[in-house]
Formats: sequence, structure tokens, C-alpha cells
Amino acid sequence: MTTERIDNKNIYYPPGGILIWIIIFIELFTFGIAMIVMVYSSKDEPEVFHNSRLLLNSTIGAVNTLFLIVSGFCMAQSVHFFKQQAISKASLFLKLTILGGLLFLGLKGFEYYDKIEMGYSIGYNSFFSFYWMLTLFHVIHVLVGIVILIMMYLDIRKKGAEASLENIEASAAFWHMCDLIWILLFPVIYLIF
Amino acid sequence: MKRFIITLVVLVVLTILSAVVSNYSTNYTATIILILAGLKFLGIAYYFMDLIKAHVVWRIMLVIFLGLFLIPILILY
Repeated sequence: MTTERIDNKNIYYPPGGILIWIIIFIELFTFGIAMIVMVYSSKDEPEVFHNSRLLLNSTIGAVNTLFLIVSGFCMAQSVHFFKQQAISKASLFLKLTILGGLLFLGLKGFEYYDKIEMGYSIGYNSFFSFYWMLTLFHVIHVLVGIVILIMMYLDIRKKGAEASLENIEASAAFWHMCDLIWILLFPVIYLIF
Repeated sequence: MKRFIITLVVLVVLTILSAVVSNYSTNYTATIILILAGLKFLGIAYYFMDLIKAHVVWRIMLVIFLGLFLIPILILY
């Protein structure tokens, strides 16, 4: 039983495959443009954006950032151990990755509940319109990422070292993409205004 | 494996630093926070996603994206 080797130095085979990287760039540009539009809109209502930003709990945002970073670390470890054919360690780190994602969603759910309770819904003002649209769109990606990781976990448990490395790397790349998007969302929404 | 641990520590330190810097209101606060975010972005992409081992074009494309994202925000802000 050998794990297939992919030459990532080949321009057509970045880690995870070229298709997932096309998706990653489309997603990054989509979120990037939305964030630029948000900053542009803030020029019309700087006071609204500043006061609204102060209504957010940046500690929750920072803790969620740490959840995703640690989760990304576990994902990288899982891929590393899978390549070494240390399947039990790969499975363990994959479970920890999923746990990190669930903790992120749990804290995000608490934050959303808090905001709805206080009446800061999507129509409250333009800052909160951006807040809800961008963070909810990101949460959908995290949910999809968790489903993909659960499928990968089941695949590894069933097939062991015979599971496809390319699929695992592509799943990992999707998960890291959620991390990349959040790394840019966090300062723009929670810190700079 | 050691590479991942070093990356994790650096990312955690940069996240804490961003939160600390955000408490100070200066002309450069937003710039510093966004640059720190850019460094974290590259850290995740290059080391956790193993892009450091990929063809140079992919690494350059990611830096170009970061420039296209950060420069307009810094100009508009």
C-alpha cells in the first residue's frame, strides 16, 4: 500500500489540484471585492461604521480566529500524517480539525443570537448589512467545509491508506480557504472602523 | 511538522498583536492591522496549504491578490 505522490512543482498540480485553486481565487476575489465595497461605503457614513463596529465583540472575533488557525494547523498535520501513512494520527487530527470548525460555528451562533436579541439585524444599518452578508456567506463555507471533512474522515476510516491523497489535499485546501477568508474578514469587520 | 508548529505560534502571536494594536487609535492603526492580516494570510497559504512547495506562479498570484485587496482598502480607508 503506497500513497500516490503528486509533483506540486508542476504548475498544473498545486497542492489540492488546479480546480480547487481556481475556486479559491474566485472566492477570494468575491469576498475581497465585497470588503473593498464595504470600506468604500464607510466613507459616506464614517460615524455609523465606527459606532456599529464598537457594538461588535472583537474578543469573540479574535477567539474565532484562533479556533480557525488551530483548526488549520490540525488540517495540515492530518495531511502530513496521511502522506506518512500514519492513518490513526491523520484521522485524529482530522477530527480535531472538525472540532475547531464546530467551535467556530458555536461561537458565531452565540454572537448572532446576541446581535438579534439586541435588534442589530441585517436591516439595522449599512454596516450591519455588510456584517450579516459577509459573515453569513463565510459561515455557509465553513458548514460546507465541515461536511466535506466528515466525508473525508469516513473515507479514510473505510479505505485507510488507500484513500485518495488528491481528494484529501483538495478538502484541506477548501478548509484552509475558509481560514484565509476569515483572516481578511476579521480585521475589516471587527477592527479597522 | 516543526514547520507547522512554528507557523501556528507565529499566527497566534500576530492575531494577539492585531487585537492589541486595535486598542490604540493612531493614523497607522488600520495599516498595521491590515499588514498583520496580510502576513497571516501568506503564512497560512504558504505553510499550512503547502503552497511554498508549489510552482512559483501560484505563490506570485496569491501575492498579487493580496496587493489588489490591501492597496484599495488602504487608499479608501
